[in-house]
Amino acid sequence: MVEIRLEQLAHAYRRGGAYALRPLDMTWRSGGTYALLGPSGCGKSTMLNIISGLIQPSEGRVLFDGRDVTALETGRRKIAQVFQVPVIYRSMTVGQNLGFPLVCQRLPAQTRRKRVEQIAERLGLGPMLHRPAHSLTADQKQLVSLGRGLVRDDVAAILLDEPLTVIDPQQKFDLRRILKEINAEFGVTMVLVTHDQTEAMTFAEEVVVMNMGEVVQSGSPRALFERPATRHVGSFIGAPAMNFLPADPMGPQVAVAGTGLAMPRPDATEGRFCLGFRPEHARLVREGATMSGIVTRIWFEGLDEILALDHPSGEVRLRAPAGIGLKPGDQAGFVLEDGALRLYRDDRLIA
Amino acid sequence: MLRLSNLDLAEDGVPHLADISLDFRPGLTTLLGRTGAGKTTLLRAIAGLAHPFGQISFNGQDWAQLPPWHRPVAMVTQQFINYPHLNVLDNLAFPLIRRGEARAAALAAAETMLGRVGLAQMASRRPSELSGGQQQRVALARALVKGAPILLLDEPFVNLDYNLREGMREELMALLQSGGETTVIYASTDPREALRMGDQTVLMSEGRALQSGAPRAVFAAPAALAAARVVNDPPINILSARLDATSLDIDHLGPFPRDALPEDLPPGGYSLALRAEDIRQNGTVSARVALTEVSGSETVTHLQAGAQPLVMLERRVQSHPLGAEIRLALDLRRALIYGADGALIAKGAAHG
Amino acid sequence: MRTLYLALKYLAVTLWSAFVIFPFLWMLSTSFKTQNAVTGGATWLPWLQFEPSLAGWRALFGGAGGVNIVKPYLNSVVVTGTASAIALVLGTLAAYGLSRFSFRAGPIRNGDITFFFISQRIMPPIVLAIPFFLMLRWLGLLDSLPGLILVYVAALMPIAVWVMVDFFNTIPRALDEMAWMDGCTPVTTFIRVILPNVLPGLVVAGMFCLIFGWNDFFFAFTLTFTKTQLLPVSIVALNSSVTPWWSLSAAAIVSVAPLAVLAFVVERFLASGGLKGAVR
Repeated sequence: MVEIRLEQLAHAYRRGGAYALRPLDMTWRSGGTYALLGPSGCGKSTMLNIISGLIQPSEGRVLFDGRDVTALETGRRKIAQVFQVPVIYRSMTVGQNLGFPLVCQRLPAQTRRKRVEQIAERLGLGPMLHRPAHSLTADQKQLVSLGRGLVRDDVAAILLDEPLTVIDPQQKFDLRRILKEINAEFGVTMVLVTHDQTEAMTFAEEVVVMNMGEVVQSGSPRALFERPATRHVGSFIGAPAMNFLPADPMGPQVAVAGTGLAMPRPDATEGRFCLGFRPEHARLVREGATMSGIVTRIWFEGLDEILALDHPSGEVRLRAPAGIGLKPGDQAGFVLEDGALRLYRDDRLIA
Repeated sequence: MLRLSNLDLAEDGVPHLADISLDFRPGLTTLLGRTGAGKTTLLRAIAGLAHPFGQISFNGQDWAQLPPWHRPVAMVTQQFINYPHLNVLDNLAFPLIRRGEARAAALAAAETMLGRVGLAQMASRRPSELSGGQQQRVALARALVKGAPILLLDEPFVNLDYNLREGMREELMALLQSGGETTVIYASTDPREALRMGDQTVLMSEGRALQSGAPRAVFAAPAALAAARVVNDPPINILSARLDATSLDIDHLGPFPRDALPEDLPPGGYSLALRAEDIRQNGTVSARVALTEVSGSETVTHLQAGAQPLVMLERRVQSHPLGAEIRLALDLRRALIYGADGALIAKGAAHG
Repeated sequence: MRTLYLALKYLAVTLWSAFVIFPFLWMLSTSFKTQNAVTGGATWLPWLQFEPSLAGWRALFGGAGGVNIVKPYLNSVVVTGTASAIALVLGTLAAYGLSRFSFRAGPIRNGDITFFFISQRIMPPIVLAIPFFLMLRWLGLLDSLPGLILVYVAALMPIAVWVMVDFFNTIPRALDEMAWMDGCTPVTTFIRVILPNVLPGLVVAGMFCLIFGWNDFFFAFTLTFTKTQLLPVSIVALNSSVTPWWSLSAAAIVSVAPLAVLAFVVERFLASGGLKGAVR
């Protein structure tokens, strides 16, 4: 229920030292879902900790609804944080855990019980209120951590620091669903930090891709998938990674030698070119292939198969529905969906 | 061949292993199941660290009396475990020296293996000075350097970054391909990973081995309802239905024509398992959107049709607003059909 | 600003050092004084404020009115050293067992056994004096080095167990199991893998044993007569109707010296990173 604005924000852990977080400007709308995505050490946790107030930024300001909170201590920012490992009070029951923030706020028992019951009901923890918290499974504990954040009615934003790492894939689904429902219901701004692209893409309206202390690209999952701003983003997002093949200016086009892959030639032609496309945007065809090669490997993933095709220009990977009946050594060709090809110069998207 | 016969292990009434009989041949077998399905216990039993009832034998030799330190087994676990007091190179050489190889030869072999996992620069560092991914590579290299005929991998990459995980998988496969006759058992909670990596896949749930076979066969025809749950991601839809002389009545979804099913079956109660991709828009079943998850090229939508939860997979980017009513078409001809006892009776022709 | 901060820091450290070192300096100067110099008020500088004398030091080596402490000193070294070593070895083994294996005898579990060890140190030593006396007499070991070593092992082992159980518990069992996978038997695992990783614990436990053993007066006093004396007893024997501050001071310096050296060595060891990477 708060808009978060980062103004010229930057951080170096030592004065004059290297930036852990390079200067950036960013606005996150109230009630939105955002994900900070990147490998460990990319600066995403630093950013989260600056927002929650655990770290004082060395430059710039943090604004909540236009109010400067840069110097405000964590406890007064009305922020709930859920960590990678569930933080619960082991000696208490689930109900006591959920109600503890209210005890700290000195609310009367009656109000407390009502709030706790409401939240427990919402999170599906209702039947467990009187169980000792340490007896829960990992995902239930994570729900309790979340519930402790939500139980205060003035919570402005929820920061999630890799909260799903210790959870089973199947239970992740449920937890993600509950998070989204809560986002829709309470209108709480949510920021998720993760190194898992699937998690970021499925959770957030807007994904902020970070690398080496820098925001590389920020956009909707679809934009990141379809128009990665750099080769790095293309490789980091998507499984398998985006295909990139070296290309050269040829006549009015930039093309990959020995294939039909080509884009209109840009005005300036200095620099290194390559063409990229997503494995998902290729469709196998018997005739009229834009590019073909020898199948070197096939990975079976259940509903899908992933094929590796060898071509003199490089290896490409394709995603195809299972049961296409190809085997290593076969010749295979594909066409691309309209508008699926991207042109990169010096590893940056230009068309 | 590694043979497990009738393994049973329960603790405080909770079954960790329940009547498991499996044969493992050289090659990579994946164990697929949720946390607590018994995968880790099974690997520990093979290593001699857990002691179930039943028999374990390797190439005809009974292992009942064989302590862990005499078993020809190497193991890598989720946690990055290395010897903290030894540098990286000595960590790798340790098992070789322990089994009596000359120090110089052991160090040479260790150095070669370290090069193959790309850590030659780190030889003189202590494990605590490495990143998580590097530590796990050291653990993997230490397991591989022994050249043990049995290699046990317990979700070895689960604690690593996504891309690192992908890279490590490829690295492992490449290293194993030059390994020849190794029996590798790889435990995983991720269906895609397990199906993709295994020559064979074993599905586990609640301490039982539900099914084993080639990944394609296992995926196409999960032998039991529980197996269908384990092997699908996104989760498979389970519908309970009654078939009578004229129609098929699915709980919460209403009646369907009898011939909607892939096979003609006798009247009675059935469970239908329908994959998320076999549900589409523009049909007759009304459902409310509970959650939409877009990942690049795919959209997974969680829906609620009355009290029946449904999951739909679309191969395009599609945003359904929360709470919206949409109408679904269920392609029941592709459903897997299970009897009252949970055993597979019929499956849609399109699979396998 | 920075200079001021440094100056303040050094001042504080200097004051603290002076505070700590003061009793030792006083002891040192007193050991060279005569009776007149001691009773004549506080004096510090030899030759200027008082005439130094070696009488106090001579008394330690059989001089007039003194006791020869050479033999008790060696006895103390032998008893403390041997008993500490034995206690450390047995205690470490016991602690490893308690940390790694589950024992059960009726209602008694691992925790109870650990507490049993520690409880030995909870009782006042006087409780043990008579049983020890009777047992040693029965064994014919009263007033002998082996007898004392036996008693000291019993007194020191609880300390070793207590310290080491905690250290072993910080080492994950997965490390033992990994060593087994690498072909180590449990004994090899203990020696080659576990011990190197509890080195800090061994140092701490060893230090405790040496300090407690070295400083013990009670058992040394009750279980010996004249033949076998330990240092603390012989120092007390220096005392007479007129307190000989000078020889007592000299004796105190001599007896505290080995512990000071020990502390110095351990500190160097820690600072040099001798334990680096041993624990995560």
